[in-house]
Amino acid sequence: MKYILSVLVCFLLINNLKAQERYLTKQGTISFFSHSPVEDIEAINNQVLSIVDLETGDVAISILMKSFMFEKSLMQEHFNENYVESDKFPKAKFKGKILDAENLENKSKVSIEGDLTIHGITKKVKVEAAIEIDKDSVVLKGVFTVLVADYEIKIPSVVKNNIAKTIEITFSLNHKKIK
Amino acid sequence: MKLTKRKKIGFALLVVGVLIIALALSQYYKPHIDVYNANPDIITNATDLLYEYENDEELANKKFLDKIIQVNGQISKVEASENNDIILTIKNQKDGFGTVICNLSTKENKKLINLKEGQIVSVKGICTGYLMDVILVRCNVVNN
Repeated sequence: MKYILSVLVCFLLINNLKAQERYLTKQGTISFFSHSPVEDIEAINNQVLSIVDLETGDVAISILMKSFMFEKSLMQEHFNENYVESDKFPKAKFKGKILDAENLENKSKVSIEGDLTIHGITKKVKVEAAIEIDKDSVVLKGVFTVLVADYEIKIPSVVKNNIAKTIEITFSLNHKKIK
Repeated sequence: MKLTKRKKIGFALLVVGVLIIALALSQYYKPHIDVYNANPDIITNATDLLYEYENDEELANKKFLDKIIQVNGQISKVEASENNDIILTIKNQKDGFGTVICNLSTKENKKLINLKEGQIVSVKGICTGYLMDVILVRCNVVNN
């Protein structure tokens, strides 16, 4: 009985230690940018949910497509209704790992590899990010590109020239330690 | 002066052309929904809204997505976003993990001074869905 108890206590302690290495933000920022000769389109999402575990290097990010704010309401409408079909696919997700997650405190750049799901389609991506670890915060920042066609997002030929084939995605995630 | 038939047709085409361009431009520059002056589609409180989302997200999405929702509840956190807009977190009164996160529109920034933790507020905004929390955007504080 004592043995079981001590194992249990140990387990709880380990669990606790691990839990302390988790950092979370509900107000991360992800924006995207499409450049074309006709027009530039930009949208920003300030409600990114992201969790990073420094112990394991796990990163999990969730965003609502409808939280992307556009300058023009027509663009936002087309984005949600025609392109990403956000009623059918309300969320985009990333689930991955920081590669070589040892001694992260001493690193300023990391590679993160994982599955990115947009519009119900999942693709492997590898992203470079700047990392900044402080006493109770972990900041991840970076830029990467995705191909619109990879995620089976159909752009009607009428506006083909208005929307870039490659979209630039910028992220800035300021995680705070989970207490 | 009598217009020839050709001139009449030309003139009509011109009018139609201008109308089409005007319509296209007004669509292109159509403003965002003015939450401030709009009547809410649904009035509820944070606890009930969260309950519906935690119970059946898909069903709740059908009911709330893109709707203007007025949520009553108690502020648990007042923060600033990266571009300095106010973010209000409204508590779930039952024991629950989730909250309602309201991103206030920039116009509301001057109200910051009147917003405090623990205060009961009524916030109106557009529902964009549920992650760990229900999220409302373009919000404005109805009474404070």
